[in-house]
Amino acid sequence: MTGAVTWGLVAGSLAVLVVRRRSSAIVLVAAQSLMLGLYALTQHARTSTALAVAGAILIVKALLLPALLLVTVRRAPKARLIETEPPALARLTIALALALAVEQLIPRFGLTSAGVEHAAVGLLALGVLTAVVRRAVIFQALGFLTAENGIYLAGLSLPGGLPVFIELGLVFDLVAVVSVAAAFAAKIHEQLGSGDSSLLEALRE
Amino acid sequence: MNEALLIAVVAAPVLGGLLIRVPGSPAGADRVNVLSASITAALALTASVIGALHGAGGLHGSWFVLDRAGAAFLAVIAVVGWCSAIVSPAYLAGQGKSMFTARRARAWYYTAFHLFWAALLALALVENLGVAWLLIEATTGASALLVAYTGSRNALEAGWKYLVLTTFGLALALLGILILFARLAPHGGSLATLDWQSIAHRAGALPQQSALFALVLILTGLAAKIGWAPVHNWLPDAHSEAPPPVSALLSAALLPTVMLIAWRVVLTLGTAVAGHLARDLMLAFGLASLAFAIPFLWRPMAWKRLLAYSSLEHMGILALGIGFASPLATIGVLVHLAGHALAKSLGFYTAMPLLGHEPSASRRAPRGLARLSAPVAAGVGVSLGTLSGLPPSPLFFSELLILAGGIAAGQPVIVALAAVLMALGFLGLAHTLIEALAGDARGHRWRAGRTVRLARRLTTGVSLGLLALSAVAYLLVGTGIGASLMGGLA
Repeated sequence: MTGAVTWGLVAGSLAVLVVRRRSSAIVLVAAQSLMLGLYALTQHARTSTALAVAGAILIVKALLLPALLLVTVRRAPKARLIETEPPALARLTIALALALAVEQLIPRFGLTSAGVEHAAVGLLALGVLTAVVRRAVIFQALGFLTAENGIYLAGLSLPGGLPVFIELGLVFDLVAVVSVAAAFAAKIHEQLGSGDSSLLEALRE
Repeated sequence: MNEALLIAVVAAPVLGGLLIRVPGSPAGADRVNVLSASITAALALTASVIGALHGAGGLHGSWFVLDRAGAAFLAVIAVVGWCSAIVSPAYLAGQGKSMFTARRARAWYYTAFHLFWAALLALALVENLGVAWLLIEATTGASALLVAYTGSRNALEAGWKYLVLTTFGLALALLGILILFARLAPHGGSLATLDWQSIAHRAGALPQQSALFALVLILTGLAAKIGWAPVHNWLPDAHSEAPPPVSALLSAALLPTVMLIAWRVVLTLGTAVAGHLARDLMLAFGLASLAFAIPFLWRPMAWKRLLAYSSLEHMGILALGIGFASPLATIGVLVHLAGHALAKSLGFYTAMPLLGHEPSASRRAPRGLARLSAPVAAGVGVSLGTLSGLPPSPLFFSELLILAGGIAAGQPVIVALAAVLMALGFLGLAHTLIEALAGDARGHRWRAGRTVRLARRLTTGVSLGLLALSAVAYLLVGTGIGASLMGGLA
């Protein structure tokens, strides 16, 4: 895995945390998945069937899931600025601190290079952070896709890749979970007139 | 023959969930649901009897393992799934709103319910950690739709919280599995690399640091799905907002089944980390869950929400039993699993007539039920009495066995802490029970409608089952079954 690809993936995740428009964030996550898919197909397709399958799956995922989320965004009423979110600069600062912490604290765990290991765990951490600091439900779904891209990055860096059965199962689960998330996002918009997840706090003790 | 039976166990609810869409009428869908559920439960119970009788090592195949502990979990999932399926028509008959369009709501409910049940049954059988992860993730999609079935604002909140928190938790677990895979097969591996047997055989050769990192990630991720504190935030909301038959399946089948996977991880991967760290992690989750749950058991609380916090308490007790890892504690875990499943399901089914006659019970604690409806009061009494650990309920015996197992395992401090917390939990639930049965009643005596009659029948059946389980708990001690259960799991 080249440094440029891993840096590109991490930069994409940081951008998702900062951009205002939901559609821009969806395009960024789609580009991230596409970059991973193309990398797998161009670098490893001839040597490993598992990695070729992974690449194909990533490209399908890069097109299908963002398209689903874009349709949800189009159908939902126009998004208002969500005031409960921290400002973009604060989000970026937290994200950079988190990325730095990952780089310093994560031990080697068996992938081809330390850089890839840090990038994979970093994407997972930034995905979780996206769900925590971005209050729009669509951003929370995108946080999950970012985290999954971290897992795929790690999977692509394994010698021989992940078993094909797991790859296929993973994409099936991912499509199911993102479809359910999209259905929820639409219903939440319908009920609240907004996709602001901070309005969903009636059940607190 | 055995493999065909196990395939049928998983395929029957999948087929049932799809065939439910064939009849056009609600009555037809109800009939297909009951028929499919009965076939599934019969197949699963047959398989669990075969598994239990097969010996300590259990049945093994290319994709499945059915040891004695797995057989007990399979039986519990079968019984709870069947009960939830047969009470679902009564729930749906009285339910007006749904997040689905009125014409499709019933078909969606049954399809999601049977697919969810199928994934749980498969989960108790699979021989592979990677496939187990895929099945756990698959339960999330179906069950999140069921949690939010009513489409109310609260149900959407509960469903969304459940979806987000468990999905991220499972992403962490997947990273842990990937790290484990990388270390087990440094030059490339196959699906079989993640078989339980393969992990157990190779765990000793894993680098300590990576094994620890993988173990912590996997257990923390699974804890989010099991609802162990401190990653339990979704649990009270989802259990209180889901339809009662679904709440029963979540609490009595989903949580323990995911715990079976955590148990197998501890037994297979635990040898790769220093000392008893894997078991200590289970003890920490157990104590934390008990400590988080107890204050809520003392508060006056809506019935289903109280049951949800009781689930947190009981998942904590089960974690302690697994962490003690002694034969006595292992018997205690299996008796506790079955007793909790029966009592908790009955509690959730009793919520149907309770909420039907007194909708305010969704927001505040029930009171004076003995004067309002004897069958509902009996259901609440049996459920809460058992969950509090009142003798001669099986949970009284199982908690004693788990504590005795802890002493046998040389953990007197943890046992003392757990005993104090369990006693506090008992007092909290006993107080709630007295208020619920004998407090000041609101309103007039309830009519004995469909759901009340159903509650009466279920209370009778569950009471008999609980008494039988108490007898089993008493008879199992000293038979050597505990050791063979642990041997099979490992």
